[in-house]
Amino acid sequence: MNIALFVVLAAAAVAFRIWRRRRSRTDKRHTHSHDGWTVTGDVALVATREVRERVRGKAFRIGTLVILAVVAGAIVIPTLSRSKLNTQNVGVVGPLSQSLRAAIAAEAGSVDAIAYFYPQSDRRAADQALRGGRLDMVVVDGRQLVVDKPISSSDTSTGARFVRAVAEEIAVLKAFEAAHLSAAQSSDLSAVKPLPIASIQPGGRSGAAVATSVIGLILIFVMLNQYNTWILMGVMEEKSSRVIEVLLAAVRPIQLLAGKVLGIGLVAFAQASLTVVFALVLAEAVGSNLLHGTAPVVVAATLVWLVLGYAFYCWVYAAAGSMVERQDQIQSLALPLSLPIIFGYIFSLTTLSSGSASAFFTVLAYLPPTAPFAMPVLVAFGTVSWWEFVASAAISIVSTVALARLAAGIYRRAILRTGGRVKFREVFPRKEVATSERT
Amino acid sequence: MPGLLELDGLRRRFGTLTALDGLSFSVAAGQVVGFLGPNGAGKTTTMRAVFGLTDLEAGTVKWNGSPVGQSERRRFGYMPEERGLYPGMLVGDQLEYLGRLHGMRAAAAREASTVWLERLGIADRADGKVEALSHGNQQRVQLAAALLHGPELIILDEPLAGLDPAGIDTIGGVLVEQARAGCCVLFSSHQLDQVEDLCESVVIIDHGRLMAAGSVNDLATSGPRRLVVRVDDDRDGSWALGITGVTVSEVNGGEVRLVLDEGIDTDLVLETAMKAGKVTKFVVERRRLSEVFRETVA
Repeated sequence: MNIALFVVLAAAAVAFRIWRRRRSRTDKRHTHSHDGWTVTGDVALVATREVRERVRGKAFRIGTLVILAVVAGAIVIPTLSRSKLNTQNVGVVGPLSQSLRAAIAAEAGSVDAIAYFYPQSDRRAADQALRGGRLDMVVVDGRQLVVDKPISSSDTSTGARFVRAVAEEIAVLKAFEAAHLSAAQSSDLSAVKPLPIASIQPGGRSGAAVATSVIGLILIFVMLNQYNTWILMGVMEEKSSRVIEVLLAAVRPIQLLAGKVLGIGLVAFAQASLTVVFALVLAEAVGSNLLHGTAPVVVAATLVWLVLGYAFYCWVYAAAGSMVERQDQIQSLALPLSLPIIFGYIFSLTTLSSGSASAFFTVLAYLPPTAPFAMPVLVAFGTVSWWEFVASAAISIVSTVALARLAAGIYRRAILRTGGRVKFREVFPRKEVATSERT
Repeated sequence: MPGLLELDGLRRRFGTLTALDGLSFSVAAGQVVGFLGPNGAGKTTTMRAVFGLTDLEAGTVKWNGSPVGQSERRRFGYMPEERGLYPGMLVGDQLEYLGRLHGMRAAAAREASTVWLERLGIADRADGKVEALSHGNQQRVQLAAALLHGPELIILDEPLAGLDPAGIDTIGGVLVEQARAGCCVLFSSHQLDQVEDLCESVVIIDHGRLMAAGSVNDLATSGPRRLVVRVDDDRDGSWALGITGVTVSEVNGGEVRLVLDEGIDTDLVLETAMKAGKVTKFVVERRRLSEVFRETVA
């Protein structure tokens, strides 16, 4: 969270610098400018309006509920299915030695399950109970195992793993008996544990961190899409409703843009923080393992990159919004703009499920458009050191500053041009060209 | 609060089109000034230039002798031709926001918005969305947005377009009242009769250049003389067609409106009319604003 705070402060400092530079440039044009303190006040005013109007809207409330519901599902559903598999009902036909019973109970523990034993009057009753689903497995005379349906060797469910482990255990015990080992010797052999395996690379990749990272990626993807769309639509709405002329008669374009980006960003960060706090509390309450091990670091990295990702993309979408004034013009822009986001998201999800990062993926973690997705994945893998993380963040911040300046220039030139989609060549060059600005 | 808006040598091109071609004029406080010109003359560009909404290639806009910057513009009010309000925002909230952008405190902006909505007869719409209002009422809200911060200069682009007579009376009344209170009011319009009723002065431009400026009275009394003549037996005014140095500008209900060249004696016209029939009206009139406009931009 400290890093997030740092990033927010850095972004604020950058915005302030851009404003200072713009102001000094404008002041050269208009020698009398006495705005002083009111400039920051204007940005705050614009931002406050954005926050108030957005939070008041139905889209925000419903969107927040949907995100919280999805996160709740992602946390609660795995714990539900785990508690369902936790119980293994074992039917017993004929005698069952204490040692075998203990061994079966121990095997259940090894697959995160608890075995309950139910003595059956005869084999027929046991088969009926198996068919009816009341029993998961039946041990006949301590020598034979019966289940309802054949278990495939590729089945990795808790039930299948339990049955295979019990089958192996019974076979081993039978082998011990055949070898005429004493009870003490059998017990010693049963207690044998695999040798610990040493690795020369540091560990740290935890299943919990990867699972948390998946939720984090989804969160970043959903929020970047949602809030960038707000920026795009918000800027376009001001242009198409012509309220922009009334606003720019009182404030400068950069103030309006900075206020909008800041206001929507605050709403986004508040919603993300709410989601994370909700996830933390819920995970703790239902005993989810999502936040074990290095997962909290992944949560922090996700929030940092959500802020950095938003800071980077918001300028792109703001500039794009200033160039269009109709819904159909937006549609032709929205897809190309979201391609890097979709690419980064899908590639990161695939890499996460494959379990290791390629060299190409590592490069993506340092490119500002894809870093918001790729870097948290590297954090989840535990393959990135703190300075690499900071370096990627620094690259992103520097690129964001450059992008913000470019976007502010495009916005200033494009926002007042009406009567059709503004072409890039009209707003990139410094010199003014023919426009459809009204005469 | 005496104010003076001065535009000096404004120049703006859009590709091959020259929108403003060294345009200069000034607008003094205390009167309503009509800003006239045919479509494409450069009126909107001129008004936008005052608010820094278009980049000038040359020229300066001054307020009370000083170049206009953002702090001056905060004390101006602007009603653009293409009305601009947030469609989904509540009317009261919107006015308060715009007032605050012009430097007002929240409470003052809220109070001023209530006062103006009442003054314009839409106080009951403060809690409604702009998009739910009729065209005329949106126009009233737009006017309130231009006025609620008590501007020293008010610039309105076609404020009367699309209004019913009651709306025209309301908005026209407000503009005159503001000017009397010491404001500098400049508004553009194509409805010349209304401009004549509302304005003491006009500025006429064409092709980005100043064509005429001055008081309506001076412009009306200058130029060629007008005669309105009615001859009972000749309702289509054919009697006047053959007189050298006399042009028929209008025939309306048996009355002929004539423009006399320099040196033409009105007695000659009267004699010709009497020969055609019984003359029941013979009046020397001043130019109408519409005639001033047509003759200036012709």
